[in-house]
Amino acid sequence: MRETAATANHATWVSHCANAWAWFGYAFLVLPTLVIIPMSFNSTDELAFPPDSFSLRQYETFFLKSDWLSSTFLSFKIAIATAVLAVVIGVTAAYGLARSSFPGRGAIVLFLLSPMLVPVVVVALGLYLYFATLGFSGSALPIIVGHTLVAIPFVIITASSALRHMERNIEAAAMIMGASPFQVFRKVTLPLLKSGIIASALFAFLISFDEVIIAYFVGRAGFSTLPVKMFSTIQWEISPVIAAVATLLTILSTGICVLVTIIMDRK
Amino acid sequence: MFARTGQQSAAFYVLPALLFTAVVFIAPLASVIGQSVWNGQFTIHSYQSVLSSSLFQKVLVNTLVISFSSTFVALLFAYPMAYHMAKQTPRRRALLMMIVLIPFWTSILVKSYALMIILGRNGIINTTIGYFGIPALPLLFNRFGVIVGTIHTLIPFMIFPILNSLLARDPDLGRAAQIMGAGKLRIFFKVTLPLSMPGVAASFLLAAVHTFGFYVTASLLGGRGDLMMANLVDLYTREILDWNMAATIAVLLFILCAVFTLLMGRTRALSTLAG
Repeated sequence: MRETAATANHATWVSHCANAWAWFGYAFLVLPTLVIIPMSFNSTDELAFPPDSFSLRQYETFFLKSDWLSSTFLSFKIAIATAVLAVVIGVTAAYGLARSSFPGRGAIVLFLLSPMLVPVVVVALGLYLYFATLGFSGSALPIIVGHTLVAIPFVIITASSALRHMERNIEAAAMIMGASPFQVFRKVTLPLLKSGIIASALFAFLISFDEVIIAYFVGRAGFSTLPVKMFSTIQWEISPVIAAVATLLTILSTGICVLVTIIMDRK
Repeated sequence: MFARTGQQSAAFYVLPALLFTAVVFIAPLASVIGQSVWNGQFTIHSYQSVLSSSLFQKVLVNTLVISFSSTFVALLFAYPMAYHMAKQTPRRRALLMMIVLIPFWTSILVKSYALMIILGRNGIINTTIGYFGIPALPLLFNRFGVIVGTIHTLIPFMIFPILNSLLARDPDLGRAAQIMGAGKLRIFFKVTLPLSMPGVAASFLLAAVHTFGFYVTASLLGGRGDLMMANLVDLYTREILDWNMAATIAVLLFILCAVFTLLMGRTRALSTLAG
């Protein structure tokens, strides 16, 4: 059943339409965020597009005249602590899962990834109730712990895929040469996993730095992270300083994505 | 013998993660469940009042309607985009991947704020159509705004599993169909699309379950009538200060997600993630 020229033309036309639709999709994903950048150079306190004049006023407000900076520092501290904790716990777990076989392994994988499947608000409420009874209020610890919980599954997935693609014979060689299992992990596996570890650390950092709900629920007065401050500000007013904050956040996440792509590519 | 001792000690590396997850995840979940049935004594009173409350029923319907309609529309974007990406050379695909990955990793607040600027009463769309004398359209603080925001977040999320299943198919099948005289459209509808259906089903359920717990999108882009379950949990926790009700709604949200996750287990979406 050979298709006629007419149906072939028809097919080309359909595939052009499908491509155009796909490009419309890419534009829908990217353009909204790009709109924010010119807005952040607005001089007036009103939002207008296109902005009528160029100024750094919103950035000045962010860096000099407000408490935005202290929220930013708090977010940085929490995100760094989260990245370190999540990588240490997640990478060792991924190694254990990749290099062993024991009964119930599948169930353990599911258990470790399950925080990803539960709505964050449920986890947030749980941590809120839990830490209220433990009396940790007024510290960044509940936020760090909550963010680490959310980040660990991502670290495990990234590290597991890096471990799968790793040459296992090098580990076997080290073991035959008399290295203890811990020496193999420490001196052979970890260095080979370096780029996977850096990538997962960067993503864990970003997950924490952008996370709103847990920080909003468990963070008490004086502990509002940058996203929490941003969230509560947007709810009341569309203040133009938000455009500057959003631009900086976009630069951060784009930077991390590009960096991860370069790191993974070089391998 | 070597391999055996190595394998057993390797299992110990999982312990810190197990311990952490038990203390920081299971214990808080247990306290949510406990809070929902404990009010000085064991009671299921809060379940009765939640399930019979008209606010909760409305919010449950909102959650399901917003989740499924957004997931469906997002699929209409995600599939053609994944298909388009699958056809490209690896180099171009990596570039397009960046276009999808960057919004995926962009803060939900940034995305919502951007949509507020675009959809608002004095936003870009309404200002533009205003030049042509068209009256302003209600695009923000309503159901439309929430769905647009949700779709924007879901598209990248849905592209990855679909792209994986498209790339995993055997290219020889399409070639065979071509040699047998099938046209492009016929190959797509008879070979490519059926083979990618498991990926589509997995990504649809994964995205819908993910959306059940959305909080930020509805609270920033929606109106009073667009509350979702996560917003209701927050309302009872912070404003009404009724922890029993908050915990009960959280448990029900958890059950809703668990039911659909079990359904998803049949599509084997999860087992592929961590090997």
